[in-house]
Amino acid sequence: MRQLLAAAIVMAAGLHPAFALDGKLVLYTSQPNTDAQQTTDAFMAKNPGIKVEWVRDGTPKIMAKLRAEIEAGNPQPDVLLLSDVVTMEGLKKEGRLLAFKDANTDGIDPALMDRDGTYFSTKLITTGIIYNTKAPFVPSSWSDLTKPEAKNLVSMPSPLTSGAAMIHTVTLTENLPGGWDFYAELAKNGAQAAGGNGDVLKAVSGGDKLFGMIVDYMPIREKAKGAPVEFVFPKEGVSAVTEPVAILSTAKNPEAAKAFVNFLLSEEGQKLAVSMGYIPARPDAGLPAGYPDRSTIKVLAFDAAGALTNDTANKEKFSEVMGQ
Amino acid sequence: MAVSQSIRPNERPASRDAGSLSILWRKLRYDTRLSGLAVLVVIFLLSLVPVLRLVSTAIAPGGEVDFVAFASRLASPAVIRATFNTLDTSFFGALLALVIGAPFAVALSMTDLPGRRTLGFLLLLPLMIAPQVMALSWLHLFGPSSTLLGAFNLSPLPGTANPLLGRDGIILLYAIQHAPIIFITLRAGLMRVPRDLVEAARSSGSSPLRVLLTIILPMVRPYVVAATALAFVSGVGNFGIPALLGMPVNYLTLTTLIYQRISSFGPSVLPQVAALSVLIAILALLGVTLQALALRRSGHRFTVGTPARFSLGGWRLPLALIGWIAILFMLILPVLALVTTALIPSFGVPLNWATLTFSNFEEVLFRQASTNRAFRNSTMLAGGTALLLAFGAVPLAIGLERFSRLSQRIFHGMIELPYALPGIVLAIACILLFLRPLPFIGSLYATPWIILAAYLMRFFALAMKPVTAAVGQMSRDLDEAAAVSGAYPLRRMLTIIAPLAAPAAVAGALLVFMSAFNELTVSALLWSSGNETLGVVLFSLEEAGLGTQAAAIAVTTIVIVVGLLFLLDRLGRRLPAGVLPWR
Repeated sequence: MRQLLAAAIVMAAGLHPAFALDGKLVLYTSQPNTDAQQTTDAFMAKNPGIKVEWVRDGTPKIMAKLRAEIEAGNPQPDVLLLSDVVTMEGLKKEGRLLAFKDANTDGIDPALMDRDGTYFSTKLITTGIIYNTKAPFVPSSWSDLTKPEAKNLVSMPSPLTSGAAMIHTVTLTENLPGGWDFYAELAKNGAQAAGGNGDVLKAVSGGDKLFGMIVDYMPIREKAKGAPVEFVFPKEGVSAVTEPVAILSTAKNPEAAKAFVNFLLSEEGQKLAVSMGYIPARPDAGLPAGYPDRSTIKVLAFDAAGALTNDTANKEKFSEVMGQ
Repeated sequence: MAVSQSIRPNERPASRDAGSLSILWRKLRYDTRLSGLAVLVVIFLLSLVPVLRLVSTAIAPGGEVDFVAFASRLASPAVIRATFNTLDTSFFGALLALVIGAPFAVALSMTDLPGRRTLGFLLLLPLMIAPQVMALSWLHLFGPSSTLLGAFNLSPLPGTANPLLGRDGIILLYAIQHAPIIFITLRAGLMRVPRDLVEAARSSGSSPLRVLLTIILPMVRPYVVAATALAFVSGVGNFGIPALLGMPVNYLTLTTLIYQRISSFGPSVLPQVAALSVLIAILALLGVTLQALALRRSGHRFTVGTPARFSLGGWRLPLALIGWIAILFMLILPVLALVTTALIPSFGVPLNWATLTFSNFEEVLFRQASTNRAFRNSTMLAGGTALLLAFGAVPLAIGLERFSRLSQRIFHGMIELPYALPGIVLAIACILLFLRPLPFIGSLYATPWIILAAYLMRFFALAMKPVTAAVGQMSRDLDEAAAVSGAYPLRRMLTIIAPLAAPAAVAGALLVFMSAFNELTVSALLWSSGNETLGVVLFSLEEAGLGTQAAAIAVTTIVIVVGLLFLLDRLGRRLPAGVLPWR
């Protein structure tokens, strides 16, 4: 009896994850679980003293979690690796990001970096069209998704779950001639907007839906594993996010965090991104199989400052147009 | 700790040393008022505090009661739609559960069907397997991506929507998940139908069907109402099923609406989700009240004799076959679908000898740090909760015995409260309680302790039930004999009552462990980095599009839960009747 009681207390006490070791680094990321694991594994192999603990969720959800932690006076992460610069810009304005001016940004386009050194783009992730190989036609333009042959067969990520989807929506509504009307037509055609990019991948590779809007690396990578999907860069152009990394001003382990940032930007870190199927921020790191040449990808521009100020309004507009 | 006694004989030995320490020690050992107070404090902390905190934020977020603001938070179209969806799916889910559960209850408790015990055990499994796991397995059974159907070239055409997604799928899964509740509740009623009534009707020439409809059914009607109400309540509070089957197609119930709001917008929406939580809590408590009222009228009208039993004669084997086919469709096929999905490298790849792989299991069991951690965390949290509650339950049950019958009933009602409330409501209450730093303990948010606290609240009732039953049935003779021989309450508790109540406490602990191990509803909102639970990583993998890895986790948890159930079954012989519903 007494032993059991002791065991109960030991078990309860064991719940507290080993009191912050010197080398613990907490990462909040929107990368898919397997990618987050590979990235941190490679970093830990290079820095055996540091133990990375990561949490993965869609960018808006990670932000909601972080906000709750800030409110509790206990923000957990040291480093954020989230989908888009707009989110980072918001945090920077609130003074939540640490400036790291000595970061190793060799070989990366300065336009991709924050001038004050608070966040650094790590890759280029475009959003294009995915289709199931059993689909009735091969889409080549965004407007193909509003065709009658695609009725009720289109899936897309929701800006409420995905940061990339938010940027994508802003980009398309600013660049396509129809603006928000394009989304209204999608809604009329029975397109479904729910969850994140992972949900779109699942729906299209599983055949529940046959077309979708999705980030490039997911279908290109799954196709290589044998999934019945193809990725298209539509002729009008694609939207892009750059998956920036940033250190929180409240980081408990800023030195390890800086090492992590430098690792992601280093040649090795960039090559790792290539091996996982991402377009790297450093052009000299190469390009993964399955992508067309970098210069042929047409990235549409968008107003980042406007996206930040209109964030809530855009989410509401999206919900309204998609009838949610 | 609560120390108490049921009789108060001359237990105070005449002479004792009177050092100040020993006075305090004696006070603790003898003073039953103190132990009664301890019981009250525990019940208050675990059951009433979270509910009060929630209600106060919902109707008085700024410190002043404001019903207009409360109502306006509930008046948006999204909330009204979600409320309608909740009522719709829970109601039809409960009816369908009745259609599935009632025939099983009659067949397994009133007939000589072969293999009754095994069928009963299997029918109860959906209750023990987490809702999100059941939903996932059904999702993989149908739809164009079904690996199982694909292996036999039976999968639907590409572009067909998965029939499980949306309203109908949710209703079907509620029915399967809650059929065991109908089964257990109805069986308790059927066991009370006396044999003489049935035999009298039979010998006057009534057919068995007529006896069933005109004699048995009217007698168990209160149980039918109670069982359906319970199934309805469980549907109202369910999160795992609508999360996996509804959210992907934007079909939201109140629980998923709360989850979506708070996980996409953060703490700024707390007053609104508190209002939503109160709304679901009211819906759930209405169901619970209906159930309690129905059962109150069931009681003491008949003399309880030997339970009635029909002989099925030539129908034995065909009916057994039907029962097995039902179980095959409800349980075995979905689990097989889940297993086949866990064995392919990527979603949509057909399963054959060339594509078969164990890499998903390897990834979630050995490679991925977060899933590894989740297995450890869920084991620790569920184990810690089970042990703490099992040890707390015995003194609490003894302590409760000394209150009047009426107060006992009120206290048991309070203990049941957090279990009757939907898990997501309790999670919101815990966020409200522990988000801001508290004196001495600081903020529990983003620590594992908030999950432990929520689990203790939620599963308190589950641990108390078997122990209360066991302590209530215990003969007073032993205790009194010990008291007469001069043993103090503490000693009597440790040496007499505790050993006798131990099997019940262990059973309670195992029930708590199984429920907490797989749980998603509470931890979905309370987890933080390093403190993920199994339910959370399963959900997160599924959301990240890694359905095959989610399936691998689901399969693993099913294996663990079924193993624990067998352990419980072995323990069953030493437990008071009624603790294990399938025996």
